[in-house]
Amino acid sequence: MNTTENPNIAAKTGSLVASWRLVILALFLIVTPISNPVAAQPTEGSLVYLAGSENSALNRRMLSLLQEALGSRTIIRTFSPGQTSQDSTTPVIALGPSAFTRVRQENRNVPILALLVEQSFIDGYVEQAGGSVSGILYNPPLIRQAITGKVILPQATRVAMLAHPDKVESYEPTIERLPEYGMEGKIFVVASDGELIPTLIRALNYGDFILAAPDSSIYNPRTIKHILLTAYRRNRIVIGPSQAYVKAGSLASTYTPLTEIAELAAEYIQDYRVKGRFPPPAYPEAFGIEVNKQVARSLNIPLPDRKDIITSVQEQLRETGEVADE
Amino acid sequence: MSVTNYPVKSPVFPGNDRLPSRPVVAILAGVLFTLPMASEAQEEDAGVYDLAALGNVPEAFNMDSSIPEVLTTTRLRQPKSRVPGTTTIITGDMIRDLGIMKLVEVFRLVPGMTVNAVGSNQPVTSYHGTVHYEQRRLQVLVDGRTSYRPNLSDMDWNSMPVPLDLIERIEISRGPNSAAYGINAFLGTINIITRPPEDTAGIELRGISGSRGYGRAFGSVGDTSETYKWRLAYEKRKSDGFDEQEDDGVIYPFHDGYDINTFNYDSNIALNNNYDLDLRAGVVDGVDEEDSRKNGKFGANEHPDIIVDDYYLQTRLNVTTSERHFYHVQASFQNYDRRQRWTVCIPQDQFIDILDPDVPTPDLRPCTPEDANPFLANLNEDIEESRLELEIQDTILFNPDLKLVSGLGYRKDTYRSETFFNGRGNNYQSRVFGNLEYSPFRWLTLNSGGNWEKTTTTDEGYFSPRLAANFILSNNHTLRFVYSRAVRTPDAFEQNPDWSYRPRNVAPPFDFLEGERVLVENLVDPTTSTFGKELEEERITSREISYFGQYYLDSSTLSLEVRYFNDQLRDMISGIINEEQWTIDNNVALDQEGFEVEASVDFPGTSLRVSYAYLDQDGRYTGADDRDAGDKQYAIDLLGRLSVRHSGSFAWIQDLPFDLTSSAAFYFADEFRRSHFERADFRLARRVFASGYSYELALTMQHYLDRDPTLSPDNTIKDHNQFFVEAGVRF
Repeated sequence: MNTTENPNIAAKTGSLVASWRLVILALFLIVTPISNPVAAQPTEGSLVYLAGSENSALNRRMLSLLQEALGSRTIIRTFSPGQTSQDSTTPVIALGPSAFTRVRQENRNVPILALLVEQSFIDGYVEQAGGSVSGILYNPPLIRQAITGKVILPQATRVAMLAHPDKVESYEPTIERLPEYGMEGKIFVVASDGELIPTLIRALNYGDFILAAPDSSIYNPRTIKHILLTAYRRNRIVIGPSQAYVKAGSLASTYTPLTEIAELAAEYIQDYRVKGRFPPPAYPEAFGIEVNKQVARSLNIPLPDRKDIITSVQEQLRETGEVADE
Repeated sequence: MSVTNYPVKSPVFPGNDRLPSRPVVAILAGVLFTLPMASEAQEEDAGVYDLAALGNVPEAFNMDSSIPEVLTTTRLRQPKSRVPGTTTIITGDMIRDLGIMKLVEVFRLVPGMTVNAVGSNQPVTSYHGTVHYEQRRLQVLVDGRTSYRPNLSDMDWNSMPVPLDLIERIEISRGPNSAAYGINAFLGTINIITRPPEDTAGIELRGISGSRGYGRAFGSVGDTSETYKWRLAYEKRKSDGFDEQEDDGVIYPFHDGYDINTFNYDSNIALNNNYDLDLRAGVVDGVDEEDSRKNGKFGANEHPDIIVDDYYLQTRLNVTTSERHFYHVQASFQNYDRRQRWTVCIPQDQFIDILDPDVPTPDLRPCTPEDANPFLANLNEDIEESRLELEIQDTILFNPDLKLVSGLGYRKDTYRSETFFNGRGNNYQSRVFGNLEYSPFRWLTLNSGGNWEKTTTTDEGYFSPRLAANFILSNNHTLRFVYSRAVRTPDAFEQNPDWSYRPRNVAPPFDFLEGERVLVENLVDPTTSTFGKELEEERITSREISYFGQYYLDSSTLSLEVRYFNDQLRDMISGIINEEQWTIDNNVALDQEGFEVEASVDFPGTSLRVSYAYLDQDGRYTGADDRDAGDKQYAIDLLGRLSVRHSGSFAWIQDLPFDLTSSAAFYFADEFRRSHFERADFRLARRVFASGYSYELALTMQHYLDRDPTLSPDNTIKDHNQFFVEAGVRF
């Protein structure tokens, strides 16, 4: 990301660097030792860095949302390579795994809040770094995706998942929780690319729908059309893995709106300022749903309204005490 | 159909006052079908962005995507809410879950279709009945190839090159469909769609054994890559047929089984992003047994079994020029080779009487060893038929609400038979077809289609139109009004028979008859014969009002489709075709009216499906007044042999613990000429999904509730419980 593309932002941030850095440092020293309610108030002139992804459109959009969420008193500056040698205490918001790794490799002590990352990516770093690293997860929780499938296809009882061998373990908790929602599941292991379609065919024989996890080695632009059409030819729907794949023909996927990510990120930054450590990685509770009405019509599936689906999913999650904290 | 009477301004329909100023919206929708609403525009997800900016976001769903909507009815891909006519879809999974053992038996699940067997266990099926022999009023397609026999226009279900395990789905367009497929799509269209090779990658093996000598062995192997997808499949199917037959009150064994092998090769080659090529080929060989008591002619002293030796080649080039324009060019060649030869033995005294024109033909008695110098010769009903079919079909999606499919077709039917045609001949058909789907409002879809074709069997041209209006009452409720007309032209044998038998290998003392033609024209009853009379086309005018609705019930979904029809069938060809009588003529008018229901409800772990049809058929004789009342009524009755008043089915598929799945199905038809048909099937299967492979074991029982033969006294099954065991594995 290169926020200096926006002259307004550059002008606003450039003149304030030195003084804000001191303020942040002072604030940090004050609030860290004790939990002081007074100190939880927004501090005038906070600073965060933003390490962007390689997609400038996404960076611009996130910058705008973060500015809105953090408020006008927080200054967002572009993260520059090498800057952590001078300032390793100001939190850095990293967009995506690459940005996170870039910052992390530069300085392992710098506090980083990773956005747009998966739980499997960030968990290891969180364990190592304690509270100085956290993340706002953006992939839809699998259990929420599965319930969405059940709401759309209420008669569904069997959920099939495709997984590479190294991912099986991470999907097992979801499979174990499906009975709470009147479903059962099975993971079909795809050991190599050549096994994808034969395994998919067996999975389609089992499942009422395919729950697609965000695993780009299985679901990617090269394979998705084939997977979807094979499923649809067998009258099976595919839920997930993300909103983009719904546009590609998947029937539905819940998603975390960027606004929600930005708002939760602002809360995390605030928490960090107050407590000196980030809360553990989490999903924003609010979510949206994308459905492909054309696909539903083609498959003769009567779709409930999006709001009804969301309400129904939320109810089921609440009934089992589930918070989307996978 | 009364479209204009519909309340166009009714406030019931949202958006009805919206002008069709949709091109811009539609084109945008063509790029991304799921345009977010304005209020949702801010709710974007990171998934719509590409974090690495490497183009790792999947392409948006294309308008021409191959989602299996209803394909058959108009040749456009249409959801049921937009299809101009009731269409039943039977999935391959349902066929297998219900333990259906023969392809033709699938059609008992279709409202209005009846299934039976004639002759030596020759399966027949029809929609809205009519005749039992010579099933000639349905268009049957397999992967786009016309699959009824070219010149006898009959269906040979036993030798269809379609393994049950390869069926993806069967679409049955109920009602005349000549507007899309031309002549023969008179009462309906059956479209059997096999699984594309990319959907069967891997290895699958299955074996089934059961009562009355039933056996089926299936194997397929295939692979898929970016550019080449292929499958080789083999199926062997055999059966001993019915248990016994009756002749003049005496029970005899019945030689009516079959033993058929099919080999299929299916492939798809992606030439580039816009071009791909389907290649298919198949071979069928085997024996279809015919019993000499049933089908033996002229004193046959052995069973005149039919040796089947068919093959087909098919290729189709699919071209996608843009998301909104694509076409295909298809060519197929099918060859049907049937060798049916038998020896005849007629005692000398009887044969001398036959040769004497002044002596009435005696009732033949079988030769005995005591008969000296009988007439001993070989006869045959060999026939080789082929069909060359070319088709170009072009689809333009102007926008999601305006779609046009159009095309050209050409067909050359060739026959070679010494017996039936005294040599070789051809018939040619050419046709132009098209269908326009237009949705001026969200609540209304109009379809207008037609087919013009010319055939050399009558040397005339015919236009078959269809008009339909679908009122989409809400997202999940559609009311259709359909008007259509169709024709069936007589086939080559009905129209131009040159039927004779030439005895071969004639033994002395009658060897002077070697190769002499014995004309059937001279054998048939001259008082009723219409042999050589030129026939006209049959015509049908059909009106349909149908409803399709889907409902969310508590944890289940219900689909309901109801069809009311009122059909007028005119100049129907009725009569007998055999070597003793030739009485066919355009001499019956039929009025058919009734309704049909198809409903399914899916609960968690439970699927229920029910179908019911009520058919009221009235016939009257419209031919020349040269017959007595009995013969006139007989002509009418012949067109009702497969027409039953009540028919239907019920199916229940239940998931059980321990990887078990059970199914129960009940089929009934009330009633055929002799009796009701009532059968209940039960199946229990255990399907285990292990790592890297899956296997299935199953037991199926067919229980005949009504033990009386239905259509003919020969349809005898001694044990009313029939059992089948099955094992399959997939890697």
